[in-house]
Amino acid sequence: MQRQRLINVPAQPDKGVMNMIKFQNVTKTYNKSVKALDDVSFNVKGGEIVGFIGPNGSGKTTTMKLLTGIIKPDKGKIAVNGFDIKEDPIKAKQSIGYIADSPDMFLRLKGAEFLELIGDIYKVSEKDRRERIAMLAEKFGLTEALSSPMMSYSHGMRQKMMVIAALMHKPPVWILDEPMIGLDPKSAFELKQLMRDHTKEGNAVFFSTHVLEVAEKLCDRVVIIKKGTILYNGTLEELEKQNKNESLENIFLELTEK
Amino acid sequence: MKMYLRLVSALIQGVEPSDKEKKRNKVFYIVMSLIAGVGIMLPMTFFVGVIIFSLTGSLRSLELGTAQNGVELFLHLISSFSFIFGLNVIFSVFYFAGDIENLLPLPLRPSQIIGAKFTAAFISESVMELLVIIAALAGYIIGGGMPFWSWLIALIGTVTLPILPLVYCGIICMVVMYFTRFVKNKDTVNKITGIFTFIIIGGIVFLISKSGFDTNELIKAMSQPDNAVLGVMNCIFPHVPFLVNSMDGANIWQILVYLVINGAAVAIFMMLAQVLYFPGVIGIGQGAARSRKSSENIISRMKKHRPSLTYLKKEFRLLLRTPAYFTNCVMINLIWPIFLYLLVVMQGQTNFLESFIYGIHSGDEETVLLFMLGIIASSVLVTAVNCIASSALTREGKHFAFVKYIPLPYIAQINVKALISIIISGSGMLIYVIAACIWLNTGIKFIIFCCLLSLLSVSFATYFGIYMDSVNPKLIWDDELNALRGNYNIFFNMAMAIVIAAVLCAGSYLLFKFTDLGSITVLIILFTVVMILNAVSYLLCHYKATKNIDNMMI
Repeated sequence: MQRQRLINVPAQPDKGVMNMIKFQNVTKTYNKSVKALDDVSFNVKGGEIVGFIGPNGSGKTTTMKLLTGIIKPDKGKIAVNGFDIKEDPIKAKQSIGYIADSPDMFLRLKGAEFLELIGDIYKVSEKDRRERIAMLAEKFGLTEALSSPMMSYSHGMRQKMMVIAALMHKPPVWILDEPMIGLDPKSAFELKQLMRDHTKEGNAVFFSTHVLEVAEKLCDRVVIIKKGTILYNGTLEELEKQNKNESLENIFLELTEK
Repeated sequence: MKMYLRLVSALIQGVEPSDKEKKRNKVFYIVMSLIAGVGIMLPMTFFVGVIIFSLTGSLRSLELGTAQNGVELFLHLISSFSFIFGLNVIFSVFYFAGDIENLLPLPLRPSQIIGAKFTAAFISESVMELLVIIAALAGYIIGGGMPFWSWLIALIGTVTLPILPLVYCGIICMVVMYFTRFVKNKDTVNKITGIFTFIIIGGIVFLISKSGFDTNELIKAMSQPDNAVLGVMNCIFPHVPFLVNSMDGANIWQILVYLVINGAAVAIFMMLAQVLYFPGVIGIGQGAARSRKSSENIISRMKKHRPSLTYLKKEFRLLLRTPAYFTNCVMINLIWPIFLYLLVVMQGQTNFLESFIYGIHSGDEETVLLFMLGIIASSVLVTAVNCIASSALTREGKHFAFVKYIPLPYIAQINVKALISIIISGSGMLIYVIAACIWLNTGIKFIIFCCLLSLLSVSFATYFGIYMDSVNPKLIWDDELNALRGNYNIFFNMAMAIVIAAVLCAGSYLLFKFTDLGSITVLIILFTVVMILNAVSYLLCHYKATKNIDNMMI
C-alpha cells in the first residue's frame, strides 16, 4: 500500500489495518429526554470509504458532531486515528478533516484569508499549503475567487471552500457531513475522486449522504441509521444479496420506514 | 392584519433568546436580572424621576407658566437618542438581517414586510427606554400636581413616544438605500451610517458646549416662555409638546393631535416603503465587489504564522469588517472623549475642575485617589460597554462548532479573544489616560502607574466578560446587530461591571475617608485587589469558561 507523509498529523502505525474511527457503545440524549443515539457502535478502517445513511433526524449529524468533539457523549468511547476524543482531543482533532453541514462561515474573510487561518491552526508548512491550496483551488475552479470575500461566493463556492479547508492539512480521517450538497457535477466528481485517492493511501473517509447513488458508487461499506439506532452495517453487495431483486432505494425505504 | 401579526411574532422570536437558551441557565438569568434591575434600572429610573420632579417643581414655583419646559426638553433628548441609536438598528433590520432572503420571495407587499420589521425593531429598541420615559413623566405628574387621569395619558405617551424618531430613521434609511442601490459594497454604506451617528453625537455635544451649558443657566433658560432650543426641538419632534400639554391640562384634544401626528408619520412612512423598499433591498446580498488581484500572487505570498496570531488577525478582521461590530464594538470607544468633554463643559461656572487640577498638582491625597478610582471605573465600564469581551463567543453564532472542532485548546482561543478586547479597549483607555495625565501635568511615574492600573482593570473586566458570555452565549441570531442588541449577557455584564466598579471605588474611598490609612496605602490595597480580580477572572475562564464551552450543546 502506498504511503504518504502526513503534515503535522500525529502518526499511527499500520493505518490500513487499524480502525481509524472507533465509535463504541455511544449514547447521546438531548435535554435528558430526546435520545439521539442509543448504544451505537461502528468502526471505520484505514483504506475504507464508509457512507452514513439515514432519514432526516435519524442521528447522522449528532454522530458527526460527536466524532469531531463538538458535543460529548453520555456514554461510550470515541477514538479517531487512535486518539481518544475525550482524553486526547487536540491530537484527535488534528487528525480530522471536517466539513460541517453549513458552509456559511466567516463570510467577511477573503477565501485566501480563511485558508491561511486554517493552514496556521493545523500547522501546515508554507510549501505544503501553497501546493495544496493551488492544487485544490484549481480542481474546484476557485483560484480566481480566493482574493474575494466569501460573502460574494455562491453556496456551491462556499461549500468548495470548506472542502479545500478540510483537506489542506492532509488529515488521515475525513468526516464529511453532506459534502456533495451545493457542488456542481464537476466538483462532486473531483471530490469523489479525492475520496478514492485518499483511501488508497490507507486513510479513512466517513461521510453522510442522502444520495443513495453516491453511496452505491463510492462506498466500500454503509452504515444505515434510524432514530439513533444502527439498522445495517456492511457492504452494499451483502445488503443487496439479502434483499434479492430489490433496488437500493427500495431496500433503504423498507429498512427506514419499518 | 393577521399576516402582519404573524410576521411581527416571528421576527421578535428571532431577536429574543430562544427557550433553549433561557432554559440552559435559569438561575443565571434570575440572578443577573436582579443585579441588573437593582444595579442599573432602578437607580437610573429613580434618578431621572427625581431630576424631572425637582426641575418641574422649580419651574412651577416661578409661576411663569413654563413648568412643562423641563420634561419637554427631556422628552426631546430621549427622542433624539432614539433617533441616533435607532438609525443603525433600522439599517440593520431593514436591509442587512438574515431573514430578508426568506421574506423577499414570499407574496408580501413591501409595506407588510417593513411594517412588521419596524414593529419588531420598535419593540426591541423601546423596552429599555420605557422605564426612563415613564420615570420622567411620573416625575412631571407628581412635581406638577397633575390630575389622576394624567397617568393614563402618560402611559399612552410612554408606549408611543419612540415611534416618530424611529419613523425618521426608517425614512432616512430607505432613502439612502434607494439612492445608493448601485453602490456595490453595502457594508460601506452601513459603516458610513455608523460613523455619521457618532458625528451627530459629537455635533450635539459641540452645540451644547457652545451654548455655555450650566445647570443654573439651564433652569433660567427653561423658565423662558420662548426658549429657542425648545422651539427648534418642537419643530423636529412636534408630537412632544402635545403630549406634555395634554398631561398638564389633561386635555383630550391635545392627546388626539399627538396620536394623529404619530399616525400620520407612520402612514407616510408606509407609503414611502411601498415605493422605496424593494428597489433598495433587492440584490443586496450580491453587493460585495470582486477583487481582481491575481490569486496566484496571493497563494505564493501565503506565510506560516503561529495559530494564535492568525486567530487574532481573524478576530480583528471580523470586528473591523462587520458594520455592526465596527460601530458598536470599535467606534464606540471613540465616544468617551465626547462624553468626558460634555462632563467638563457641564461643570460650567463651578470651580470643581480647577480645584481638581490644583489638587492633582499639589499632590492632594484625596484628589489623587479620586483620579485613580476614576481610571479604574472608566476602564471597567469602557470594556463592558464595547462588549468585545462579553460577546466574544456569541459573535461565533451558528458556527460556534468551529471553536470546538479545531485543534486549538479552548483557553488559547479565549486568550486571543481577550487580547483583542484588551488591545482595543486598552489602547483607547491608554490614550485618554495619558492625555489626561499630560493635561494635568503629572510626572512620568504617575503616568506609568495610571496606565498600569487602567490596563489591569481592562484585563480583569475582559476575562470576566468572556466568562459571562461563556455561561450562556446567544448563538442564534439573524444578523450581527442582533448578536449584540438582543443579547442579555452584554447587559448583565454591564450591570456586573457597574456593580464591581462601584464596590471597588466606593470601598476604597470609604477606606480612605474613615480609616487612618493614607492614600498610598489605599492605592496599594486597591492595586492588590485589582491583581486578585485579574487572577480570579483568568482562573474563571481557565477552569469554568472552558468547561462551559466543552459542555455546550450546539
